[in-house]
Amino acid sequence: MPAASAIHTLIVDDQMSMRALIRTSLQQIGFREFREASDGEAGLREMITKPAHLVISDFNMPKLDGLGLLRAVRAHPPTQGAAFIMLTGRADKELVQRAVQFGVNNYLVKPFTVAQLREKVEGVFGVLT
Amino acid sequence: MASSEPPAPAASVRVHVGQGEHYVTSDPDVMLTTILGSCVAMCLRDPVTGVGGMNHFLLPEGAGSGTDAGRRYGAYAMEILINDVLKAGARRESLEAKLFGGGRMFDSLKDVGVANADFAERFLRDEGIAVVGGSLRGSGGRRVQYWPSTGRALQRAVTDQALPAVAARPRPVEAVDAGALELF
Repeated sequence: MPAASAIHTLIVDDQMSMRALIRTSLQQIGFREFREASDGEAGLREMITKPAHLVISDFNMPKLDGLGLLRAVRAHPPTQGAAFIMLTGRADKELVQRAVQFGVNNYLVKPFTVAQLREKVEGVFGVLT
Repeated sequence: MASSEPPAPAASVRVHVGQGEHYVTSDPDVMLTTILGSCVAMCLRDPVTGVGGMNHFLLPEGAGSGTDAGRRYGAYAMEILINDVLKAGARRESLEAKLFGGGRMFDSLKDVGVANADFAERFLRDEGIAVVGGSLRGSGGRRVQYWPSTGRALQRAVTDQALPAVAARPRPVEAVDAGALELF
């Protein structure tokens, strides 16, 4: 069982409020290691500089959206093994299907609860300690 | 040929924005309208492109502005309007907002209107979006009219009788229709 505190996470969202919500939700699950980026391009730079174990990314973002970031992460050998969870709106069924094609590991529908976030993360990493 | 007749006013299209809804347009003929009690409406626009819109939200029952549930729901309600305004061509750095609502209603024990108003102000401060007008808190309801293309907004007080019944909880926004797509 992986320890949540050992998972390094990159949070990518153009809204500061949403990044803060994700961060505090992850902290409640036991995560301790975070970095943040405010758009897909910045997220990709962060990943190339220092790959994270887990990327939690919004879809709608300026410069490079969540799908673009996912494709870039999967195309770059040092980062392609990272787990990737996409945040979506409720009407984004088509987006989820496209994200699956590009290798997303899971998706999370906004607004989400801490329990839902935990379920999605554990769906990727297994039960967390 | 000169005419002494004043120009006819442009045809105005009224769009009502109900609780849990939002609407975005760049059409200068569109006027957005809503009726607010303790709910809050954010009127948002980019004055450069003339793209704008309005939402109308109420934090979940029992979830004040400082609670996790309140912030989660509220941040999402704001985000979907911001995203749609940006998708329609607005630029984030130009966005300006007017906030209305958050009134104290006679039939409520807790002042949920203040919680909604506090949340909206904090959200816009955190996101760096300028608040250029509006009217929050106070007592009673408001009818709001907003023209996104110009940023003009009008409000007038309404009596309790004119206010729509507020749903006990916001419309559920959970879950993609997951029956159609389940991963893993």
